[in-house]
Amino acid sequence: MLGSFVGVLFDGFAYGMLLFLLSVGLSVTLGMMNFVNLAHCSFAMLGGYVTVTLMDRLGWPFFATLPVAFLAAAAASAALERALFRPLYRASDLDQCLLTIGIVFVSVAGAAYVYGTVQQPVQLPDYLRGAVTFGSLRFPVYRLFLIGAALVVTVVLVAALEHTRFGARVRAAVDNQRMARGLGIDVDGVFAVTFALGSGLAGLGGALAIEIVGLDPSFAFTYLIYVIIVVSVGGLASIGGSFVAATLLGISDMAGKYYVPQLGAFLIYLVMVGLLMWRPTGLFGRR
Amino acid sequence: MPDPLLAVRNVRAGYGEAVVLDDVSFEVAAGQSLAVLGRNGVGKSTLLLTIMGFTNLVRGSLVWRGEEIGHLAPHQRPRRGLGWVAQEREIFASLSVEENLTVVSRPGRWNLAAVFELFPRLAERRQVRGHHLSGGEQQMLAIARTLMTNPSLLLLDEPLEGLAPIIVEELTAAIRHMPGDSTLILVEQHADIALALTEHVIVLERGRIVHRGRSRDTLRDPALLDRYLGLTLSDSPHASG
Repeated sequence: MLGSFVGVLFDGFAYGMLLFLLSVGLSVTLGMMNFVNLAHCSFAMLGGYVTVTLMDRLGWPFFATLPVAFLAAAAASAALERALFRPLYRASDLDQCLLTIGIVFVSVAGAAYVYGTVQQPVQLPDYLRGAVTFGSLRFPVYRLFLIGAALVVTVVLVAALEHTRFGARVRAAVDNQRMARGLGIDVDGVFAVTFALGSGLAGLGGALAIEIVGLDPSFAFTYLIYVIIVVSVGGLASIGGSFVAATLLGISDMAGKYYVPQLGAFLIYLVMVGLLMWRPTGLFGRR
Repeated sequence: MPDPLLAVRNVRAGYGEAVVLDDVSFEVAAGQSLAVLGRNGVGKSTLLLTIMGFTNLVRGSLVWRGEEIGHLAPHQRPRRGLGWVAQEREIFASLSVEENLTVVSRPGRWNLAAVFELFPRLAERRQVRGHHLSGGEQQMLAIARTLMTNPSLLLLDEPLEGLAPIIVEELTAAIRHMPGDSTLILVEQHADIALALTEHVIVLERGRIVHRGRSRDTLRDPALLDRYLGLTLSDSPHASG
C-alpha cells in the first residue's frame, strides 16, 4: 500500500517535471508579452524529432542530441518570432490564437509527412534503463534522471532570472514594458531572446519526453492542453508557479489514473477548475 | 544662444487620430532648465511622451544634438541621453530598489553611490521590492533610476504630484542640488515650485504654447499665472511667499 503510494507520488512528480520543462518557457513569454503562443508544443515536438533523427539515422548518443534539440527549437522559434509572431504582438488574442494554432496544424502535418503517424522509438543508453530499489520501492532510473534534469533547469532559470542583468531586464519588461522601453531596455530584443530560450526548453522537454509519453505528430496538440493548464494554474511569468502547478497536476493526474480509474485522466481537469476557482490568476499569478 | 541640446520644431502629435499638441516649438540648451506649465489636460505629459517616442508624431521634428530623432524607437532615445521620469512613477514593482537602479544603469557620474547620496532613504531600503515602497520613496526611486541612465537631459513629469509636503520639500531639495550643468525639462502642477527651480518657462493651452519667458519674470506676473493657470500663488499650498 505504502509502496504503491510512494510509487504514484514518484511517477507523478516525474511526470510533473516533464510538464514543467514543457511549459515554463510559455509561462515566461506569455506573461511577458501577452502573446498567446499555442504553437509552443510544436517546438517541443521539433526537439523530440531532432533527437529521434540524430539517434536513429545518424547514430548520435542520447545526451549529445539534447543540446541540439534545444538549439533547433530555439532557432526555429526565433525565426518564426521574427517573421510571424512579432507583427501580431498588438493583435487580439483571437488573431494570435488563429495564427499559432495554424502553425500547430502545419507542424503536425509536416511531422506526419516526414516521419509518418507512428510512434517514434528512442533507444536509451544502458545506464538510463532499469531501476534503483530501496527495499520494496522501485524507482526507474530514467525518471530519476528526468527529475534531476528539471531541478537543474529550475535552479539555472531562477539564478538567471534573479541574479543576472538580463534576468532583471526580463522582469522589468514583465513589470512595465513602456517604462522599460523609456529607460533604454530593448524590450523586443529581450523578448526575442527569452522566447527562443523558452522554446529551446520546450525542445529539450520534447526530447526528454519521448521515453515517457512517446512521440508522434499528435504530440503538439495533446500536450498543448497540459501546458496551458500548467501555465494557467501556476500563474503567468512565474517559474515557481509553473513548478508547483506542474508538480500538483502531474501527481494528481497519476493518482487519478491509479486510484480512481473511473475518472481516469479527468481528475487533472477537476484539479485545474478547483485551483482556478480558488485563485483565478493562478497560484503565483500577478494579474 | 548656444547650440540647442534639444530642438522641438513645429510638432503636431497625439494618440492615434487624436491630436493633442499642435505647432509646438522650443529649444533647450545644455545646462538650461525649462518648466512646462498649464492646466490639466493641455498636453504637458504628452509633450514629454512625444519627446520619448510614445505618441504619434504627425508633423514637425525633434532634433537632438543636431540629429533628427523623431523616427527612433523609444528605447533608443535614452541611449542618446534622454532621461524620462514618468508621471505615474512606474517603478518595476517586482525588482528591489537596487535592481531598479542597476537594471538600466549606464556609465557616467551617476552610480549607486551618487544616487544613494542624493536619496539616502533609498540606500536604507536598497533590498526592498518596489511594491513595498511608499509613494514618496517610489518617486525618489523613479528619479534616481532615470539618473542611473546618466542622461544629458532629464524630463520630469509631475514629480511632486500626490506627495506629502515633507516629501515635496525633500524632492525639491534633491532637484535643486543636482549638478549645475544638469539640463532639465520639468512638467509640474505646482507652478511656484517649478518656476523657482527653472530658468525658463513655457505655458501650454489646448496643445499650443501660449506663453514663453523667464521663470522668475513669470513668477512675478500674477495676472499671467491667473489667466493661464488659474493660480493665485497665495492659494498654493507650496507658495513660499
